[in-house]
Amino acid sequence: MSLWEMLFYILVFPGLLFLLAWTFFVFYFARKTLAYIHKRVGPHYNGPAGSLQTVWDVFKLLTKESITPKSADPYLFNIIPIITPLVAALPVILIPWTPLINNGHAILDTEYGVLGLVVLIGVEPFLLFLTGFGSHNKYSFLGGMRILAQMISMEAPFFLAALSPALLFGTMNLYEIMYSNTWLTTLILLPGAIIFIITMLGILEQPPFNIPDAEQEIVYGFYTEYAGTNYTLLKFAEFTEILVVSAAAVTLFFGGYRGVFFDSFWWLFLKIALLAVVMVAIRASNPRLRLDQMLKFTWSWLTPLAILNLVWITFAKLYIVGV
Amino acid sequence: MEKIKEILNRFDMEYVEDYKPTWVKAKLKNKNDLLDVVKALKEVGVASCSTVSPTDFPEENRMEINYFLEDIENKKNVWLKVDIDRDLEKCEIDSITPVLESADYHELESYSTFGVKFKGHPNLRYFLISADYYGKFPFRKDFDWEEHEKQLIENVNTISDEFFEEYEENEETMGHEDSRTVLHWGPTHPASGPIRLKVYVNGENIEKVEPDIGYVWRALEKLSERKDFIGTIVAVERICFMDNTNPMICYAQAVEEIAGKEITPFAKYMRVILGELGRTVSHLISMGGFFGTMGLQTFLMWCLDVREYFLDVLEDYSGARIATACIEPGGVRYPLNDYKVWFEEINKAIEKWESVKPDIEDIFMKNPLMVTRAKDTGVFTKEDVVDNYLAGPIARASNVKVDVRLDEPYAGYADLEMDYVTCESGDARDRLFIIYKEINQSIDLIKQAMKKIEEGIEAGEMDPKKDHMVKMPRRMPEGEAVSRVEWARGEMLMHLVTMPKSTNPYRLKIKAPSVNHTRILEKLIPGHTLSDIPLLYGSMHICQGDLDR
Repeated sequence: MSLWEMLFYILVFPGLLFLLAWTFFVFYFARKTLAYIHKRVGPHYNGPAGSLQTVWDVFKLLTKESITPKSADPYLFNIIPIITPLVAALPVILIPWTPLINNGHAILDTEYGVLGLVVLIGVEPFLLFLTGFGSHNKYSFLGGMRILAQMISMEAPFFLAALSPALLFGTMNLYEIMYSNTWLTTLILLPGAIIFIITMLGILEQPPFNIPDAEQEIVYGFYTEYAGTNYTLLKFAEFTEILVVSAAAVTLFFGGYRGVFFDSFWWLFLKIALLAVVMVAIRASNPRLRLDQMLKFTWSWLTPLAILNLVWITFAKLYIVGV
Repeated sequence: MEKIKEILNRFDMEYVEDYKPTWVKAKLKNKNDLLDVVKALKEVGVASCSTVSPTDFPEENRMEINYFLEDIENKKNVWLKVDIDRDLEKCEIDSITPVLESADYHELESYSTFGVKFKGHPNLRYFLISADYYGKFPFRKDFDWEEHEKQLIENVNTISDEFFEEYEENEETMGHEDSRTVLHWGPTHPASGPIRLKVYVNGENIEKVEPDIGYVWRALEKLSERKDFIGTIVAVERICFMDNTNPMICYAQAVEEIAGKEITPFAKYMRVILGELGRTVSHLISMGGFFGTMGLQTFLMWCLDVREYFLDVLEDYSGARIATACIEPGGVRYPLNDYKVWFEEINKAIEKWESVKPDIEDIFMKNPLMVTRAKDTGVFTKEDVVDNYLAGPIARASNVKVDVRLDEPYAGYADLEMDYVTCESGDARDRLFIIYKEINQSIDLIKQAMKKIEEGIEAGEMDPKKDHMVKMPRRMPEGEAVSRVEWARGEMLMHLVTMPKSTNPYRLKIKAPSVNHTRILEKLIPGHTLSDIPLLYGSMHICQGDLDR
């Protein structure tokens, strides 16, 4: 890997520029879809069909003052928003994005792709807990506690669901998983995929699991004290995480960038966009769950189901796919 | 009724007389008998206190206190008066809160605004008014508002001093102690509106709640004393912007009663239509807001979309969408020059509602996550309703048959077909369902009233261009009236007092249901988790406008 190649990966694709473009896009896309369901217009004035609205919003946020509250821990409060997007962006190197780069492999083509993915995704919430802890605000702290409770209970079924393709294909390399996937195995993996998508909603704090930043209950959860640049960085991390987790779901369960007639990045993008539409539709039609109901749901339903799913995968591997 | 009169006659009364079909009016001679009377009345079922309304008579050096006591289930009500001394030191009376707890906030309000000391009240304190009015009792006739308003800077300083004092006190006494802390839910909280709930939490579990109200106190009751009888409708309609027509009906009825005027049948049915439009408009927000408390805004947007059509109807009639000022003493404000066009507009709004109804039922009323959250949460029994006097939809959700439109028919409701709309269980979900059912009932009533008007015009009995008003005298005779309407959130009661040949109200007491609905939060919320505050609070359909007035 040459220096220029590396710089291209970091700064353009699948690094900074790509993630920024994605953030602008998904922000706009979610707003517009949600507006359609709400019977509103949504962003309208800036750019064609309001497409530049989110860009202006981000720049407006960047020009605002970044306030550090008197009572907050200044180091923790200001350093976490820098670390969070970096950690959120790390899993990008493990995912095979397009056939054009690295012969279709991920940039870091490793035997432990799935493992790296789930670990890096799983670290993120603990950083967000620290934002709530460092703010030293009652509402932020409650948000931080909620995110810990939610993550610990969501990650067990999340890991178990992510393991199911690795178990079926006998490899943790994401490229190999992607290429081993056929229409038949997609069907076999479907229960695992559904569990993965449900837990994904929990890990991304999307409704009905947007408990840690429940606006009506605890103001804005761990975001409460953040403003300006710090807030932008945290939001950037959130959207990056949405991209990474959705891309992971598509790569693990729905064949990544492989598609009908030709393989391309756009197939991956289309699949992610469809997933985003599902997420927005759930968000637009379902109220939030209570914390204790969420805990009960994950521990007494989701986790046992994820284990049962592994049993099903083993069965399918032995008798349907054949070893 | 006879039983109540018999009990009242046992005591030393100036008079006991019938008033309207459902009321007994009585005046007590000796204020020391009050508690015994109330206890005796409670035994025969008059167990709810609607409101407490003092009237100040400085010339006669007396303060007349009116108690409005109601038997919700049997519709027998008592209007009890008693005179006390007006001097601040002697201005005291026994508190009836230990007997009827629904009087609690109303007595606090009377204490704060009139300085009536209630002996034996469990926690007598200044309430509702801001710190600059403490000890000045602003609703007394001798309170100088102009003088008070001149000292603007001092007043603002008093308020901010009180705030900082409380802040420092909170810092000392309400710090973190193991997992216990105090959260201030409001007045700038995203879901609270201008009210503050002091929430004592242990982790996520709530141990105690103390409502702090008065953030939108506009002294509407006092304001109306400065306006003439027509101008008062502008003050009255601003109780709450959501349902704006029904308070005006209530006020207009009280004035008409004192003037001894009867309005035309056309105006009666117009009042039904306008009142039900106001109710629908308000319920649409309540229904959407219920889901908003659980983080789902879609339904609110859909409801606001439908609401626009109903607001168009109000705009067509009165020229305004929110503050319509369209009902005044003597009838309704405007004639209908072309009634068919307006009815067409109403039908358009009804069609819009009918078109979204199937979607609403499928997506939202049966939503499994909503059911998970709201079912069996915050249940009220019949006893809760009677003891705390919960009104309107909240009472009907607990299967208590109460509706002023049927109990004491006003406007044109006596001639229309309607029945009590109730739900069985009284949990938060039923408090949503009842709203949905009531919108359908309102629309049915609008259709009936429109039909009556059409028939009346065809038969030549009504003239929509002339019949809207009867002439009201410019100066009112001396008198006193109580008027009730079924407001969107429950019973609204107005107590109007006039002086001879007066051009403005002498005293207008407005009782609005949100006061009791806020008080019940103290009992309702503890025991739940933090996530349930917005849900339970939203399920009470509280409007801070009518809470503070």
